[in-house]
Amino acid sequence: MKTFKEILENRHAYAKSWKAKTGRKVLGFYDTYFPEEVAYAAGLMPVRILAEHEADDVTDRLMYGNCYCTRDMLNQFARGRYDYIDGLVSIESCQWWYNAFDTTLIMFPDLFSHYLFTPDYLDARTSKDVMRSELSVFAERLEEWLGTKITDEKLDDAINVYNKNRALLRRIYELRRFDTPVILGSETMEIMLANQVMDKAEANVMLESLLSDIEKREPYQDCVRLMLLGSETYDVSLERLVESLGANVVVDELDNGTGCIANDVIPLKDRLMAIGLRYLGKPHSALKDSIWRRRQERIFQLYEDWQADGVIIAKQIYCHPHGTDMYAVWKLLRERNIPYITFERDTTLPQEETRLAVEGLISQIEPGRTRIAGWSRSGAKTG
Amino acid sequence: MTGEFRKWPEFSWLSDTDTWKSAEKITAGIDIGTTSSQAAVFADDELFGYASIHTGADFTLAANTVIAKALASSALSVGDIGTIAATGFGRRNVLYATKTQDEISCIAKGARFIYGPAVTTVLDMGGQTTKAILLHEWDRVREFEVSDKCATGMGRHIETAAEILRVPLTEMGDRSLETENDPEPVSTTCFNFAYSEMMSLFREGYKEDMYKENEVIASYLFAVAWRILGTVGKLAPLDIGDIKIKEVLGFTGGLAKNKGITKRIERELNITAIEGKHDPQLAAAIGAALLA
Repeated sequence: MKTFKEILENRHAYAKSWKAKTGRKVLGFYDTYFPEEVAYAAGLMPVRILAEHEADDVTDRLMYGNCYCTRDMLNQFARGRYDYIDGLVSIESCQWWYNAFDTTLIMFPDLFSHYLFTPDYLDARTSKDVMRSELSVFAERLEEWLGTKITDEKLDDAINVYNKNRALLRRIYELRRFDTPVILGSETMEIMLANQVMDKAEANVMLESLLSDIEKREPYQDCVRLMLLGSETYDVSLERLVESLGANVVVDELDNGTGCIANDVIPLKDRLMAIGLRYLGKPHSALKDSIWRRRQERIFQLYEDWQADGVIIAKQIYCHPHGTDMYAVWKLLRERNIPYITFERDTTLPQEETRLAVEGLISQIEPGRTRIAGWSRSGAKTG
Repeated sequence: MTGEFRKWPEFSWLSDTDTWKSAEKITAGIDIGTTSSQAAVFADDELFGYASIHTGADFTLAANTVIAKALASSALSVGDIGTIAATGFGRRNVLYATKTQDEISCIAKGARFIYGPAVTTVLDMGGQTTKAILLHEWDRVREFEVSDKCATGMGRHIETAAEILRVPLTEMGDRSLETENDPEPVSTTCFNFAYSEMMSLFREGYKEDMYKENEVIASYLFAVAWRILGTVGKLAPLDIGDIKIKEVLGFTGGLAKNKGITKRIERELNITAIEGKHDPQLAAAIGAALLA
């Protein structure tokens, strides 16, 4: 059976093979606020555009000043990596993502494209109606493009597939709560990233099989447990670096980590409203955590629940949502005496500087580290 | 470039006693940095010998050379040393080390040895990175910050600037303080911007006038100090509880010997750094030896 790691590393080949096998179309998207269920119900495979690290001689001329992730996304389109993509959707989100979307469409005007407005104030009174209306417009555009009808039955099927997918991924995260987890941070993030570029029905089969295999694994040793915050990452180099230093990332608060699996679509008669409410109700991303600030308490809750000992904040350089969010996160961590480090990265990880900082953090934590009431693999409390 | 202007003096010292013969524990710390390498040898927690050399291109060769210089004419050999802890960028190239130790802990420990228990804020300014460390009242790291990419390699590039300006590195700091009014810094966005602006001023003919040349150096070193202050600033972005830059500041690392940088940092922080009893460049090696 293919592994998630293999799919992640060969994601373009996977998508091309899926298209050849099913004869259906692939829709690219950027942000986890994109309501994939609607596209899935239309028969599309939503594929998240992920950044890589590749020499870039294109984007300096086209969108200088963007973060390197979004520049690389455009670079990959320019180099033909995404030549199998039939359509591209952007939502109301980070300005850099929008620039990448807009510039890609200038280069590839024949792509089906749609801009889906998701309210910035997620909790405002009118947000649910605005979101419902936007989803309706999006569904109509898909129907027109594909010549198909998005029925309630198709939406129900998509909701079930995606709810199951999120539930299975949450089970993977639950396994990381144990003092001696059976899955590492790097393995989990590989699964999370691969899952975002896969057909979710196939991903669900693979996840069920993986969960059954993991149960038979020997647990990893108890070690310094770290939480990862900050901008999204598109590889697992940081998690691997942490593991090479004898620690483990046990939980994250990343948009493409816990942020995209925390809640499900609760069935309603109005399916589009149900989907809209799920996306409005998901944990606030840094960009949308304005006015009603909820991220700090969520971060602390995750930190406590997964018994982390310290925090790594890895911000992508020029990432403005996390640049402004960091101040509030620092405040929280300092007020609660939580050890942390902050650094900037781009699509690559500065290995030695990061190693220096992570080693320092581990040394800071290790002498005073206690496990007051941890959880064993069987779920029983240990002293 | 001949390399004559970028050179700083290597140094070493060896105790004239033979206390190591009766010592119960002999330890050594080896700090292999990108620019300089240091070794410190302790006999029963007493400093017995040390050395500092240019690292060069070969980390392993630097590790072998620096320990040989630290042991110098003593009859002590590497085999006699019980534990040897390696730290710094090239720590994995110290083939005779018995353990490796993270730089933050080493610098913190070494700073306490050099400056005594009073020091609570350590600012380590090396060839590759800047580290700002807050210490607890006791011997533990409270919080630390490491410079971001926009300041990486700053220390090492000051050597390049010295070479291009043809001003000896060891004189740059003092020359920058000889200006009547301290000029504004060149670009403080990132170290590379500062470097390129400094080069622009240089090309405009500032070399013709000694005083103007000092101004260019002052503007450049002020910008370097500003980038370092950026790292320090992240240590105390908020006034929460008792976490703030304490008044007892100690500099470590090679740039600690550049007064053009340290004086400007002191002025901006409104703090006078304390004087240590050993060369600040030895902090990481001393700390590694004490933690070995």
